[in-house]
Amino acid sequence: MDDMDTDDISISITRDDDYEQNSSEDEDGGLDWTKLPLNVPRPVIPKRGEKDFEPAHGGGSGLQRHTLDRARSAIKSISYAVWYPNLARAHVTVSRGVHFTSMGHSAQRPNLNSGKPQKRLELLPEEALYLVEKGALFCWKASHDVPSEDVDWDSASQGAPMSAQQAYAEMIGKQDLTLDRYHTFSYLRRLGYIVTRARPPSPSYPIPAPASLVFRLLATLLSPICGFLNWLVRPSTSWWRPLVHRRWLHHNLDYPSTFKTLRFFPSGHSVPLWSRTRGSPEDDPSPYEVFYHLYKPNAPYRKTAPPPPDFSVVVVNARTTPMPTIAELTHIYEGLPVTPPPLPLKRTPPSATNRSTSKLPAENDARRRPFFLARLLSYFPFCSEPPPLEPKPVRVNPFMAIRQGNKTVIVAAVDAGVVSFFRFGQGAFEEWPMT
Amino acid sequence: MSSVNQSQSRGNSSQKKGGRKRNENNVIYANPLPITFSRVENRFTVTALGIFGISPARLLKPQCKGTFDPITRSVWITDPKDRAILWRRGFFGKGNLSRSEPSWLVRQTNIRTAVGRQTTSEEVTAKRRAERKQFKLDRARGIAAAAAEAESAFAEGRIISAEETKALIPSAATWKPSPSTQNVTLSFLEQYQGAADLDAEPLEDMEHMQLTFSEAFFLTWALDCLSIRRPNALEPMTLPEIWIAFQTTHLPPHLQAYSSQESILRPDNPFLLNYFFFHHYRSLGWVVKNGFAVVLIPVYEDARDAESSPFSLSNSEPFTWQWLSTINRVNSQVQKTLVLSYVTIPALSRVSLTELTSPACFERYSIREIIIRRFVPARMRD
Repeated sequence: MDDMDTDDISISITRDDDYEQNSSEDEDGGLDWTKLPLNVPRPVIPKRGEKDFEPAHGGGSGLQRHTLDRARSAIKSISYAVWYPNLARAHVTVSRGVHFTSMGHSAQRPNLNSGKPQKRLELLPEEALYLVEKGALFCWKASHDVPSEDVDWDSASQGAPMSAQQAYAEMIGKQDLTLDRYHTFSYLRRLGYIVTRARPPSPSYPIPAPASLVFRLLATLLSPICGFLNWLVRPSTSWWRPLVHRRWLHHNLDYPSTFKTLRFFPSGHSVPLWSRTRGSPEDDPSPYEVFYHLYKPNAPYRKTAPPPPDFSVVVVNARTTPMPTIAELTHIYEGLPVTPPPLPLKRTPPSATNRSTSKLPAENDARRRPFFLARLLSYFPFCSEPPPLEPKPVRVNPFMAIRQGNKTVIVAAVDAGVVSFFRFGQGAFEEWPMT
Repeated sequence: MSSVNQSQSRGNSSQKKGGRKRNENNVIYANPLPITFSRVENRFTVTALGIFGISPARLLKPQCKGTFDPITRSVWITDPKDRAILWRRGFFGKGNLSRSEPSWLVRQTNIRTAVGRQTTSEEVTAKRRAERKQFKLDRARGIAAAAAEAESAFAEGRIISAEETKALIPSAATWKPSPSTQNVTLSFLEQYQGAADLDAEPLEDMEHMQLTFSEAFFLTWALDCLSIRRPNALEPMTLPEIWIAFQTTHLPPHLQAYSSQESILRPDNPFLLNYFFFHHYRSLGWVVKNGFAVVLIPVYEDARDAESSPFSLSNSEPFTWQWLSTINRVNSQVQKTLVLSYVTIPALSRVSLTELTSPACFERYSIREIIIRRFVPARMRD
């Protein structure tokens, strides 16, 4: 290593940083070659070191193999695994490095010798393939399908060593992993996100605990009641005269109440969709199923008990799959939690932001309750403006809330290896009237 | 020195003018709907009436007049007073010779008279475009000059750094229109002048305002402040007549000839879908205009209804991802968010003919939105 090399590295790092910050805006700008070190008196071909060996005519020699193995074992962070094609899992025999804090799961497999179940660390195909491609995992292909107890990873007893190409050929197509999904997985993983399967491929795969049932139950119970109440108090008597102004009992004699009276069309995602589309879902499963859960890189994450995910991702092939229909989206949203409305942007130190986000669900509840009550009470005369029940929480910008939507799913449309992400927000215009 | 002072004072005065302008606009466009409410100022009266549950406000409902025009599928408003009411209170309609607000007469007057001009939005845009064009010309000239200078300096053996060259090229952040640009703008207007000089007769307003069927039906049905006549008819149309007429115009010509009322009524008539969409957002306080940002997508509850339909509804087939990328790019260029608005069409088996003869059928429809934004994982990491 000499000066030239280190300089080269530092340049590439700064450019990487820039790239991160400006994201995908200016990908086209190439390296500025004039920034290369100028004070070198005469062009020098960098010295990269001696080759340990060159290919000999009669194949490798014992000494060469020894030197190569020594060099390999010097890289401490390489891990070892055995790939079992029939299980579609890679059994990690030696785990090194930080990858396993967010990858892999423990599974119970019967032991060959004793017959009783034993826990061991296993990787999904995409996880194993990603690590192999990264050079952080050395993988053997199991020669016999029954896992054996001895973890003599340094010998060929486990099977044949796998190349990255072979890993691609073997692992894509196993356990619902398509090439599109792998592209999405590895792209997000390389950006630092923690990516897990949304639907557990086996019972031992840890998934986030389901959202509190009580709240959901309450919502399902309340919505028909609300609908009925709305229907009852709808003031329209004739369909030919929807808006009636009366001086008695404050009937529509200001703009807010007039607009409110005009809001009598069924709207929003709570209205049932009567859709009966051509192909029934039984004969052709929809490609629109949440496949991955996404956690932000610095989110607190425990592998054994993952928190609710930050995003849910659907992966589709952009060439063969059209955009989702409303029925497909409604089906996806059924399984997703409601995201609280966004707080106004504030420049605060990181600790303060953390605190505010942890407080957020409570604030959200506080916002909703008086809102709902106000809606109910406003239909009765003399109560058109109920006193505020609680001190006003942080004002939410309605435009931001509408832009975000109540629920969000991310669709990764993969067009021949190019992944473009779109977020599909469940719109809530009717919850944020402008008047 | 003096130029700096001048520009400062000009800046101040324009700021004041801007504030005054905003206040003026707040007065002109104070009402979100054509109907208005008069307020009683006396506090005592308000309280006294409030005890008895009587509202102190009184309703003022304008009675605008429009003409039904089936060929352009619009309702024409010709009375300038009605035009002003409908535009200023809720931004209804569009001038047929203007971009939005009917301003043809003002623009024509502006061409004829140099003094006391009232700037219209079209002129503001034209001026901005002329300035932008001028800026691009200036910049191109600057770049060429800088390159020539650098080249000649190089011939002398000097090298001008990129930073020095940059200083010579006008940037969009600092460039100010020079007086010559104003001339460009004026000359842009003057191209009409020659024709205008020929007739010195007083100008007649050639423009009318067009309301879409959705706007017209909202004003007639929901707010009751517009009456619509057929051309050459004396009596205004009744609401059931309007209901049928607006739907008939969307039929293909061979079916329009029958127009035996009920036989043509179908729940997937484009008028019904457009009106449902329009009314929903209007009732939430939005102003609805044609554009690209909110896409109405009709959804048949029963897919078989689509096959028997005489209408070929746009956007009812599934979209490709290419379409999404295209339209999303168009919208993000103008800082808009793409919204897909799904209007469900009740199945023919679920909606009765009697329901279709009145707006009662709207109870069977529903509307919901999907908001689409790009997700850039590299930007969302924390």
